[in-house]
Amino acid sequence: MSMSDTIHIQIDRADGSLQRLIGLVERRGFHIDGMSMAPDSEVEGAMRRIALTVRGRDAARSIDTLGRQIDRLIGVARIQAQTFQSEAA
Amino acid sequence: MSAAAPALKTPPAPAVMTGARLLVSSLERMGVEVVFGYPGGAIMPIYDALTGSSLKHILVRHEQAAAFAADAYARLSGRVGVCMATSGPGATNLITGIANAMMDSAPMVCITGNVPQGVMGTDAFQEIDILGVTLPIVKHSILVRDAAEIPAAIEQAFHIAASGRPGPVLVDLPKDVQFAETVAPFGFNIPNETIEADADAIAEAERFIRAAERPLIYIGGGVKIGRATEALRAFAETTGIPAVATLNALGTVPTDAPGFLGMLGMHGTRAANEAVQASDLLIVMGARFDDRATGKLAEFAPHARVVHFDADASEIGKLRETHVAVGGEIRPAIEALTTRMAAAPLTIDPWVIRCASAAARHAARYDAPGEGVYAPALLKQLSEMAGDRFVAACDVGQHQMWAAQHCRFARPEAHITSGGLGAMGFGLPAGLGAQMADPDAIVVTIAGDGGFMMNVQELATLRRYGVPLKIVLLDNSSLGLVRQWQELFFAENYSEIDLSDNPDFVKVAEAFGVEAFRIDRRDQVEAGLARLLAAKGACLAHVVIDPKENVWPLVPPGKSNAEMMEGA
Repeated sequence: MSMSDTIHIQIDRADGSLQRLIGLVERRGFHIDGMSMAPDSEVEGAMRRIALTVRGRDAARSIDTLGRQIDRLIGVARIQAQTFQSEAA
Repeated sequence: MSAAAPALKTPPAPAVMTGARLLVSSLERMGVEVVFGYPGGAIMPIYDALTGSSLKHILVRHEQAAAFAADAYARLSGRVGVCMATSGPGATNLITGIANAMMDSAPMVCITGNVPQGVMGTDAFQEIDILGVTLPIVKHSILVRDAAEIPAAIEQAFHIAASGRPGPVLVDLPKDVQFAETVAPFGFNIPNETIEADADAIAEAERFIRAAERPLIYIGGGVKIGRATEALRAFAETTGIPAVATLNALGTVPTDAPGFLGMLGMHGTRAANEAVQASDLLIVMGARFDDRATGKLAEFAPHARVVHFDADASEIGKLRETHVAVGGEIRPAIEALTTRMAAAPLTIDPWVIRCASAAARHAARYDAPGEGVYAPALLKQLSEMAGDRFVAACDVGQHQMWAAQHCRFARPEAHITSGGLGAMGFGLPAGLGAQMADPDAIVVTIAGDGGFMMNVQELATLRRYGVPLKIVLLDNSSLGLVRQWQELFFAENYSEIDLSDNPDFVKVAEAFGVEAFRIDRRDQVEAGLARLLAAKGACLAHVVIDPKENVWPLVPPGKSNAEMMEGA
């Protein structure tokens, strides 16, 4: 059984911000299985919304720790996370 | 918790100026006094604007040394260290120093020039995407695309570098932005947010501590960084709970304080590691369960529940289950806990006595036989002779571990070491940066013959600026820590560790205009150290030691801290 989580994130358009987010997720030991991005319709200006579906490379990877590491980034805000369990290997 | 917010000077009246001039003014306004750097093509407008400014620029001889020096400057002064370099190779040479500051949470702002925006992305001469290259090793980074944004970018960079859990911030300035003329407003102010400690969590921490029979304080670098040294000492004294420290926390409790058991981990003391393994409650203060401290994580402190104080919420539960988490600024949190603990004493005498007797039983010995210099004894004596103004700036290797084990540290700032990154070459530039931060400190670079050669060119910087840094070069003619591991874990297959063709280090130093002399035998140590410490200017003591000497005790890599090896 593998566990995947979808994290909803608000992110600014500063140079490197997307790379910073994606790099963090992969570096901290998660696969990115799905991703979508769109301008944030609720905010004027330079914000985007991203939904990332992620899966830990091994059982030791904690989505809670990843979430707090995302929270630490500047110009990035975590909106919410959902956890899905699937029977797929 | 934060390094001191720099006092903002009165903003100058808005005037038309170039981005380069605006950058220099912004740094002045942040209260910056010293900048370590090296010029080059893409940062020339900034170097042009430096002349006539109040900033003291220290021209190093390699950009890596600028980053290391700024890092050490920050660690000793508690202020943000600043380094600058040009684009391309200048910027990439900073990388090891940026990573070092990131791993040890040192507040640093790195300013890099870059090629003009019009040619960015075209593989222009000396173009490197330094923002992209450094993403994993910075706390944050900013590419400034408009000169008018420079004051805000600099204020933001300093704020981010120093606040919360500190770290390096890169500010990349394309050359056209440096040239651009603009009228920019100063006075962009970032509110100082402090996160209050959760009173319920502190009450819960007290409950856990009072329920424990074998509580132990596990001190990390976050205590010093959070300016909580006095608070931590008061907590330890009030409660009488024994304490161990990580490499980066040595000196937070004075080395000889009652109840202090020394460093834990791979080269920690037996008393510290035994206490951790026996403890039923770890009170973790600004530490992150680094593998060099924990050994095999699954067997670390197997009986202990965990109370964790940390300014960085993402460290809570990262590697070890936490029972009580106290986030936010660490100093007020510890103070609040101490106030609660003062209401009634703990009854942990059997545990305290057990720890103290283990410390006495396993105390280091300095009576090694022979005529040769015994490095642990020399380092202990060095720190005792230098006294309370002593600051050790260590390189990486056996000498670093001996310094950690045997020097006496009166305060955490007295021990500057590359802990998380373990970057050889740190010692000499770190000594330079530390001495620039505190001219009255007795700063001693402790280096091995391997790491010393990685930034040996900085002897020229000492000479140029008359920096009175002292250097103890412990020369075993080999890469000693690697040699030790090859001896113990690779069947004595000594591969590429021999440095017996080292240059004559006394002549090298003298060629740079730095006083130097040699210590070969044990009976020369006391007089040699006295000469070193009495020298007016920079001085190097080349100390010849036994290549076969090892660092003991040792937890083999991947093993539990319960499995310490001792030398013959």
